[in-house]
Amino acid sequence: MESILSVIGEFINNLGSTIVMPIIITVLGLILGMKFSKALRSGLTIAVAFVGIFLTVGLLGENMGVLGTAFAERTGTGLDIIDIGWPAAAAIAFGTPVGNLIIPIGIVLNLVLLLLGLTKTLDIDVWNYWHQAFIGSVVAYITGSVGLGLIAAAVNVIMALFLADWSQPLIEKYFKLPGVSFPHLQSAGYMLLAAPFAALFRKIPFLAKMNLDPDTIRKRLGILGEPIFLGLIIGVLLAAFAGQDVQGILTTGINIAAVMVLIPRMVSLLVEGLSPIATAASQFMSKKFPGREFFIGLDSAVLIGSPSVIASGLLMIPVEIGLALLLVPLGNRTLPFIDLADGVFVTAMIAPLVAGDVLLTTLLGGIVMGIGMIFTTILSPAVTAMVEAAGSVDIPAGYANYTVLSDGAIPHSYIFYYIFQSPVAIALIISAVLLVGQYFLTKKYPMGEKIFKIEEKAE
Amino acid sequence: MKKVYIVCATGIATSSMLRVKIDDFLHENGLDAVISQYRIAELTPDRIDADVIIATTEVPPEIKEAAYCINGLPLLTGVGESVVFDELEKILNEK
Repeated sequence: MESILSVIGEFINNLGSTIVMPIIITVLGLILGMKFSKALRSGLTIAVAFVGIFLTVGLLGENMGVLGTAFAERTGTGLDIIDIGWPAAAAIAFGTPVGNLIIPIGIVLNLVLLLLGLTKTLDIDVWNYWHQAFIGSVVAYITGSVGLGLIAAAVNVIMALFLADWSQPLIEKYFKLPGVSFPHLQSAGYMLLAAPFAALFRKIPFLAKMNLDPDTIRKRLGILGEPIFLGLIIGVLLAAFAGQDVQGILTTGINIAAVMVLIPRMVSLLVEGLSPIATAASQFMSKKFPGREFFIGLDSAVLIGSPSVIASGLLMIPVEIGLALLLVPLGNRTLPFIDLADGVFVTAMIAPLVAGDVLLTTLLGGIVMGIGMIFTTILSPAVTAMVEAAGSVDIPAGYANYTVLSDGAIPHSYIFYYIFQSPVAIALIISAVLLVGQYFLTKKYPMGEKIFKIEEKAE
Repeated sequence: MKKVYIVCATGIATSSMLRVKIDDFLHENGLDAVISQYRIAELTPDRIDADVIIATTEVPPEIKEAAYCINGLPLLTGVGESVVFDELEKILNEK
């Protein structure tokens, strides 16, 4: 099994993702019942997006490679691993052999689990399979086997569905969103780790008393919510600390602002290409189960408009920078950077655990990201290899190191990184045990019902 | 021409999914509009110059005062899409 998967992986690797991904997407579109022209347009749009993203990631590499090392040396902080941010990481993850195959794998697994009655979530958010692709690619790097990477990715597709089912009652009550769930590891993964700490915090009376007003924070820190300003500020600060002259500082500031604005623009093209596939997939899947009730699986971005989530997400910017410095003695080398802009994904599903308390949400966010940062440092060689394989950035050996703050810090990323370093049989057994464990939690302790109950408040 | 803002958490993911559906809808119905995508966190009342905002997420009250807001979630889930499109069409056809 593993060797067949690896042969497929090697074949894909040789062709290159800009060729393979459009073919897979076009064929998948046809299977899902799309018209040929529409399916082909989806595939081509994705290929074009890849070209654009890799160009802009190249711009990031050019600016940051040297800067990161200089910053680490001159400041003596040792923070020399650059966070490339989730938008670039998503494209890079989809561009790996595991990523090329993840969408069909995800759809098939979701169908099988629905058939077996093991999940209620119909995941139409095919875009966010990139998180599983990322985990799979990390595993493929560490084991040297695309086959094992695909297995790890598949395990996490199932895990995400179980997490979505588990958290659904709580999310429905807190955000007042019926009929949907969030199999989105970039939020649900953190929630899993934050849950025990949240349970503890709820037992400490004085913590819950310090009510921070989300609206004030949102208005004060609002400017940091704009990537163009955040990019400029961070670029200027980094360049200044790295000892560049005034012209260098300004150029770096502008370039980082450009990176923060341009990469997302390119990534939105990728989503545009995937969107019709998502629609076709959801129609295809709902047709297989007429009359059944589902939770429609969505991107946790839907939750982010909540004032508590935005406020605590903005507070994550200083918290993450502070943590990076504090955790240097514990081995942190990650310099939080592009993903500073999207702390809201960390807080989106943590906030309901503490009834939207801004201080507690930020504290929990700090705990999961603090733990996560140590691991983003450890995952850096795998991410650097992925960036290099994407072919867009010329990395001088031993000079630049990259990581992804958001995804490296998702517990599932680092847990499976370690699991798959054991012999295959053991890795598979542990994976199975974890899946059964998560399923047990989902069935026996549904969030918002058995645990983390929400008190009905008058509006 | 009427201005439509599509707003989501990042201005990237879910807003792009909506954009594809809205573009298709406008095209099929011979409608035209200027569409831009924004992040919810960067939207402040003084920056808003829109006839209608379609958001995939909760919208803060001060934004609701600044422009007419439609909940775009049905376009993501595929349940109740026509209600959103009807509302959008009505606004685009207003003089």
